[in-house]
Amino acid sequence: MHVRVRLFAGLKELAGGPEVVVDLQEGATVLDLEEQLSREYPRLRPLLASLAFAVDEEYKTRDYALHNNDEIALIPPISGGCDV
Amino acid sequence: MFDLTEDPLDPGPVVEDVRHPGSGAVVVFLGIVRDEDHGRRVRYLEYDSYRSMAEKEMRKVGEEVLARWPATRIAMRHRFGRLEVGETALVAAVSAPHRGDAFEACRYAIDRIKEIVPIWKKEVWEDGEAWLEGHPVQG
Repeated sequence: MHVRVRLFAGLKELAGGPEVVVDLQEGATVLDLEEQLSREYPRLRPLLASLAFAVDEEYKTRDYALHNNDEIALIPPISGGCDV
Repeated sequence: MFDLTEDPLDPGPVVEDVRHPGSGAVVVFLGIVRDEDHGRRVRYLEYDSYRSMAEKEMRKVGEEVLARWPATRIAMRHRFGRLEVGETALVAAVSAPHRGDAFEACRYAIDRIKEIVPIWKKEVWEDGEAWLEGHPVQG
């Protein structure tokens, strides 16, 4: 199966685009996706540990089982709102 | 009203969204682009967002506020794209019958935005730029 992976902020710049498609085995979890990304995109590796994952716009833990055509977003530590 | 826009922010419509005859107090928070951060002069900011999810998460913040302070109304609008120093990045407005709840609920909402709403900020300085290390989301 394959999943669409959306990238934002520094990840988008590192990967050179806003989206990648990743092939995974049936039944793969978010953790499997993370490991696959680490192999395919070594430049993302230092940032992976601090990421959260969203599947179809909901935060999911790394044991969540993915489905074909899921849209997954890599969510780096967020910095919206205000620091003041 | 919980949304993102690329256009300059006007607090007026956000305030009007929460104002009603039972609200004796409206607290409005404006997040402004500051001209320095950790001693570096900021030229401008670039905000990136996962827009559809960010709007959903902002709505969730609103639901949390209503669960804690049932008599309040809340609206929030966040800007994305390039923002110059002095421009408004965020407007949050909370109304309540009395000022105490309005202040507390508004404070809570802007703190929660930083925890769960997927928006990211790049600072551009005279001599470089960086996406800011923010708040890791608890998965």
